[in-house]
Amino acid sequence: MMESVYQQSALRSNLFVVWNELIKNMKFLMAYPIIFVFWAVFPIFWFIPFIFQGQAFVGGLQSASFGQITGTEEFIPFIVIGSVLNSYVNTLLYGMGESIRREALQGTLDYVLVAPTNKVYVLIGKALSESLSSTMFAASQLAISALLFGMNLTLGVMLPVFLIVILLILGLYGLSLVLAAFSLLYKQSHDVSETIGYVFYVFSPVRYPLESLPFWAQIFGKIIPLTYALIIVRSIMLLGASLSSLYFEVLALLAIDAVLIFAGFYMFNWMENKAKKSGAISHY
Amino acid sequence: MKKSNKDYRLREVKCATGFNWSNLKAELRAIWESNIKAWKLDFAYPVSFVRQLISPVVFMLPFLLYGLALIGGRYSENLAQLVGTGDVVAFIFTGYIMMGFIGTAVWAMGFSMRREQWFGTLEAIYVTPASRLGQILGMALHSTVHQGIGTIIQFIFIYVTFGLVLNIGGILPALGIFALMLFALYGFGIVISALSLILKEGWIVSDIFYSIMTILSPVAYPLIVLPTLAQQASAIFPTAPALIGMRSFLIEDYIPEVVGNVFLHLLVLGAVWILFGVFVFHLADRYVRKRGMLKKF
Repeated sequence: MMESVYQQSALRSNLFVVWNELIKNMKFLMAYPIIFVFWAVFPIFWFIPFIFQGQAFVGGLQSASFGQITGTEEFIPFIVIGSVLNSYVNTLLYGMGESIRREALQGTLDYVLVAPTNKVYVLIGKALSESLSSTMFAASQLAISALLFGMNLTLGVMLPVFLIVILLILGLYGLSLVLAAFSLLYKQSHDVSETIGYVFYVFSPVRYPLESLPFWAQIFGKIIPLTYALIIVRSIMLLGASLSSLYFEVLALLAIDAVLIFAGFYMFNWMENKAKKSGAISHY
Repeated sequence: MKKSNKDYRLREVKCATGFNWSNLKAELRAIWESNIKAWKLDFAYPVSFVRQLISPVVFMLPFLLYGLALIGGRYSENLAQLVGTGDVVAFIFTGYIMMGFIGTAVWAMGFSMRREQWFGTLEAIYVTPASRLGQILGMALHSTVHQGIGTIIQFIFIYVTFGLVLNIGGILPALGIFALMLFALYGFGIVISALSLILKEGWIVSDIFYSIMTILSPVAYPLIVLPTLAQQASAIFPTAPALIGMRSFLIEDYIPEVVGNVFLHLLVLGAVWILFGVFVFHLADRYVRKRGMLKKF
């Protein structure tokens, strides 16, 4: 009886930690409304040059050569989807890695680490807030793009897409945990985040189909979760494919997620112990 | 033994003032030292240094691979109809080399003051008997050389991977246009650094300006595909006339989409942007000092 009450109370405490971490991070975000508006709107400007480039090179909004590789001749929706999903990489990868660093800069990291709670729940709270803000930004960008370029956003299309976005976020959580672990011990995880961001940008089909890359680069691209997320989402939104017909890509994404999350938690626990032993936590 | 007042007197340092040769020499020395400091900081973070050197290649690749996927080769009939040349690799490369230098003005120069604030050295720089613009110009010198190295790496990569056909005889005049463009971009960078003194979240301003300049510059497409208003707006930034001028010299058969004297256009833009930049910087400088904003984050 006592044990059950204790377990319930422990669960409630952990959920309390997650919830409050989420609220704290959302308050930080809302404290800078201009940053919120920037991420919700401005990434659209980053892909507009690709639309003008397409018009200049093919003289219209459709390309037969592009259709032969991707299955769709319309390059604008292809670019829009790539950019919106890539924005998750930008916010989650940099956001999570930097969130631990931010605690150190604000002078609160020591308190967070000595609090009588499992740090995993603190990280889950941080991850949830990053996912929530990323989804708000992505939804805004997608809605504006749909208005400007006329894309199909029915509920039947968006539900499976939402599921895939969750799977992408899970994989990025794993990577972010590795980055958070790095910033605990080595402080400047920014360079590692940037480098991973570059790898995702070049080896995933964000702006161009995977087939445009050399064979060795295509193989490398296939171990990146963003690659599968982009292939699945574009197949659903642009080619009208069902989720069941894409089971191989979904399974591959799930497998990559599992590996990344396991590696992330393992690395974080290992680095946290190492940082505590070396006394590097309060270093900048 | 008691010391006299003379012994306690601070060491006097004579500073050159006014518009004369020794003052100019001192200011040039300050610019040089600011440049050296930036290089030392770069070498202190080797991973970051290498990453920044390869970033021009990383960010150009999507434009190239996307362009090749769109037309199924490297020759675009439509581009040839618009500007006389259909070689998309040469077109994108000659356009994209400019992008890094836009970044030089907007990010490196624009953020030079903000960076000093983060390091906690801005106030020390403010009380030194040297022009505050020297700090920004030192950063401009450093980032121009840094970006130049990145562009050489970019050129080697493109030459080895795709092969590049450029008009060798046009390199010298193209470099002349490039130098004129840099002056105007420096003026623009000074404006951004003034804004970053006032607006503490100045990175948003930098990003907005960077994105707008990217769209208004004919980097991966000719100006003709832009709406008329955007085409007219592009004339106030130096990158559009510079790109058109450089391509005229570097790419065989290229037909400039805007006819006019590129050299004169860039000379006027350079003078206007530098004067405007210095004026805005002085206003911002006085504003932040009067309000005690130097220490605020």
